Amino acid sequence: MQNSIPWLLVLIPGLPLAGAAVAAALGPRVLRGKSHLPVVAGIAGAFAASVILLFAVRSGLPAASENGQGPSHETIGYERVVTLWTWAAVADAYDHEAAGGETNARDFRIDVTLRADPLTAIMLAMVTFISLLVAVYSIGYMHDDRGYWRFFSFIGLFVFSMSMLVSVSNFVLLYVFWEAVGLCSYLLIGFWYEKPEAAAAGKKAFLVNRIGDFGFALGLFLIWTTYGTLNFHDTIAADGSVVAGLFGAERLAAGPAGYVGGGVATAICLLLMLGACGKSAQFPLHVWLPDAMEGPTPVSALIHAATMVTAGVYMVARCTPLFQASVDAQMTVAVIGGFTALMAALVALTQTDLKRILAYSTISQLGYMFLGLGVGTVLGITAGMFHLFTHAFFKALLFLGAGSVMHAMGGVIDIRRFGGLKRIMPVTHWTFFVGCLTLSGVLPLSGFFSKDLILAAVEEQEGTLYRWLYLVAVFTALLTAFYTFRAFFCTFYGPEEIPSEAGHHAHESPNAMTLPLVVLAVCSAVVGVYFELTHGFAEFLGQTPSIAYLSRHAHEHIHEGVHWKVMLTSEVVAAAGIGLAAVFYWPARRPVADATRKTAEALGFYPLSKQKFFFDEIYQMLFVWPLQGIAAASYWIDRNVIDRAVNFVGRMPPMLGAGLRPLQNGLVPFYAVGMVLGLLVLLAAVLMGWGWM
Amino acid sequence: MNNELALLNNYLVVGAVLFGIGAIGFLSRRNMIVMFLAAEMMLQGISVSLVAWSRYHNDFGGQMFVVFIITVAACEAAIALALILMLFRASGSLDIAVWHHLREANQPAYVDEEIPEPPPGDTAAWPRLVPAGIEPEIDREDTDHRPHV
Amino acid sequence: MNQSLQTIVPAVLLGALGMWLLLPRPSLRGRMAGGAAAAAALGLIASRLPMIGGMTVQGLFYVIAGVTIVSAAAAVSLRNPVYCAVWFAMTLLGTAGLFLLQGAQFLAVATVVVYAGAILVTFLFVLMLAEPSGRAVYDRLSWEGLLSAVAGVVLIGILTASIGSMMAEEAAAPRSLAPSEAELAAGVLNERHVAALGREMFGPHLIAVQVGGVLLLAALIGAAAIVAGGRPTQPSSSPPASNMKEPSANRTRPITPE
Repeated sequence: MQNSIPWLLVLIPGLPLAGAAVAAALGPRVLRGKSHLPVVAGIAGAFAASVILLFAVRSGLPAASENGQGPSHETIGYERVVTLWTWAAVADAYDHEAAGGETNARDFRIDVTLRADPLTAIMLAMVTFISLLVAVYSIGYMHDDRGYWRFFSFIGLFVFSMSMLVSVSNFVLLYVFWEAVGLCSYLLIGFWYEKPEAAAAGKKAFLVNRIGDFGFALGLFLIWTTYGTLNFHDTIAADGSVVAGLFGAERLAAGPAGYVGGGVATAICLLLMLGACGKSAQFPLHVWLPDAMEGPTPVSALIHAATMVTAGVYMVARCTPLFQASVDAQMTVAVIGGFTALMAALVALTQTDLKRILAYSTISQLGYMFLGLGVGTVLGITAGMFHLFTHAFFKALLFLGAGSVMHAMGGVIDIRRFGGLKRIMPVTHWTFFVGCLTLSGVLPLSGFFSKDLILAAVEEQEGTLYRWLYLVAVFTALLTAFYTFRAFFCTFYGPEEIPSEAGHHAHESPNAMTLPLVVLAVCSAVVGVYFELTHGFAEFLGQTPSIAYLSRHAHEHIHEGVHWKVMLTSEVVAAAGIGLAAVFYWPARRPVADATRKTAEALGFYPLSKQKFFFDEIYQMLFVWPLQGIAAASYWIDRNVIDRAVNFVGRMPPMLGAGLRPLQNGLVPFYAVGMVLGLLVLLAAVLMGWGWM
Repeated sequence: MNNELALLNNYLVVGAVLFGIGAIGFLSRRNMIVMFLAAEMMLQGISVSLVAWSRYHNDFGGQMFVVFIITVAACEAAIALALILMLFRASGSLDIAVWHHLREANQPAYVDEEIPEPPPGDTAAWPRLVPAGIEPEIDREDTDHRPHV
Repeated sequence: MNQSLQTIVPAVLLGALGMWLLLPRPSLRGRMAGGAAAAAALGLIASRLPMIGGMTVQGLFYVIAGVTIVSAAAAVSLRNPVYCAVWFAMTLLGTAGLFLLQGAQFLAVATVVVYAGAILVTFLFVLMLAEPSGRAVYDRLSWEGLLSAVAGVVLIGILTASIGSMMAEEAAAPRSLAPSEAELAAGVLNERHVAALGREMFGPHLIAVQVGGVLLLAALIGAAAIVAGGRPTQPSSSPPASNMKEPSANRTRPITPE
């Protein structure tokens, strides 16, 4: 089974890419309405391979951890590395100054290397599973769209990029596929490019991500100059010596001594965090995600809720040893996560666009994940990753449910314009209900366990900062339950109300769409209980080298047992949130809702939340307007100074030529006169030179 | 200065003068045939010089050169006169200034200055080719009813 | 040098003035003055020429060279092309005489026969074929008359001056290049001149003679092809290409032999 790992690692990204290529090549002419076939088949194959890989990794885990002695010195965690080919090799690219003051030249070498470890295996399985369900769902949702084949080839390309992103073993390649998923995101947000909002949203997402990616790139440069390698794993240099990778056994075994600390570590981590903020829509770069909802709903579910936006979380989890080297950076991560969670939840309270509510909820939940990672303990990181895992299921479920509603309502997504859909769409209603309960963190659904773990991790950490963050997280949990059920009640309860765009055929969605909903609902409900009972997730993930390093060198006290206090608190808070929502929005929703709004307005809070804390306006003023001014000035200079100068230079030869033009009068005698005169001059010069004249 | 050197000197001067006068004619005349005559005259100047050098160096090379000049001049005359004839057919004039179609675009065409009419007595006397032979009168009857072949 | 310039500079000035006045101009006035100036210039140049042989040879040379040059000047300056051709024939005869004076008998005869007899007669035929009506405007005008006269005469002046310098150098320090009487009698002035020339021509220069023959053949075919191929095969087509914008006054005439 171990021997199959290289093949599986290649197959998982390869199959969706092949499917995308086939869909792109044959889609417009041959396949047309069947363009989904190659892509769905490719993703299904990738999913099957991912499951096999998961078991292969599991079977290969070192058994040492079971007898309680911890892993042996040589092997920290489990990793298998497959080098496909060398992409770039520059000899003696950098004189790396080692800690001891000695310098030795390092080769700059990028191998296209894939890795298999528990973190990658979990991400791959999650990504391919959600992708498969979303692709199946899209068969129904995107039916009859003009760009059907285009949609599916983009989806295939995205699955390829995302699976490469989580399985590469080098920072440069990570950056490449980081950009590749960004490209897919851009293409799919602007999928309906005739719509100006969609085109603008695509541009916004791309540009905001550039800021984060710039930070990420700077972080990579700093890592290279600091550590002299960009590989995650250990490599063998040309002279046979082992080059310690960033997260390779060599460096991990050395413990904290293997990592540079102090300001450099903080700088590296903050730059990486900037990249993660861009990709995972954290404050202050979160503004693109709500607008990204202009894309097709399956895209929102897949890319902007379940998979791509978690790339930042994955990256920070992968870089755990680096973040361990800087306490400041860890605290920054936690603060950013906590603040984003609270801020997004507050904005979500007043939004009326169902997809935007879910988008802010995604930002908020990603904030939770970063909060967990920012705690910096094994519990916190596994909790963050676990929340990522469960969130993928229930947020995809919620988005697909919203898409189902949107499909039935003829494209209308404003919760004020429809209501009481429970009767018309029973399957959507029940699955959406499960999703809402999970998001609110109600026992025993998966969201409860993962969120509870994060809360526990925060609560466990010492320090005033984490005390406050715990309170923020709990309050956010209350808000989450409230806004989730506000949307739920508005959509499915109350008097039946259907917008005119839906026509007369408002009905439950086809099977291709409801089937993924049911599967996701079951998964959302079950995975939490399963892993809680088996403790499998934390144990499995703990064998990832980066995280195993943590448990080996941090010497932290691992709190065994259940955090009853936290569980109770979060359960009470969730119930309170749901109850409040029911009071305001269930029976006779409008008067009470209006009353709340009036109260909020009186407090000055409503416009703040409704206008999303004015982030767009602030950015417009701070960045867009000055840049527009500079651009206008540059344009003016270009047109009136540079262009004129260039044109003047360009006009010189014609002007000179116009002066000489009359010489070319086409008359042979004229030319002959010129010739003889020239001859005279030459002759005189030569004869004078000879002294004969 | 001995005799041979003096001979060379004199002939070279005569050759130079012939060459120069030919050049003046080639440059100033507008009749294509006269231009061609002037060019031939320049060749004559060269020939005179070559023959003088041949004598001075006691070498037949110079005279051989002149033989080939005559040959080439004959070829040149054939081709050039054919071309002049074609140009004359196309334009009806021997004027070199008619042919300026290869001038730069947008340049004005060459226009002759206005010149006064020639004085009444100043007319050109052109020799004419007299019709050579007169078609014989043929007896119609003889051709129609030819008794014998 | 200075002495030569003292004669050559006035000769050049006079010659240029004379040639300019002689060349065709709308006005006929000044032609006599031009002739006089040109003759004076010629005399100035001639005055610098050294003596050759005895008075007889010298006189003969002056006469023949004078005839050659005067008829050459007439050939380029007369307004009637036919007279030009006739005067050019005179020039050719003069050149033939100069050749004879140098002992190049074959060339003298060849010049008269080939040039005056064949080439020039072809010229006259073409002139008659052209047959313009009246005196053409282009025969009454010169192209840049003064400029070309100055250019040509300055050319003559430069050449004469440099010939003079060269000869003075050679006379001051003779390199004994000049052949003796005996050598000349065995060489260029051979009694059996044509035989010697023939040996030279068909000996070392045999291949050149063959090439010259091929050249003559090519010229013959070329001339025939030009005249025959220039004839329009279809009456509607006209040889001036479409980018020739302005047809001359007589261009509308069909291009057919008259």
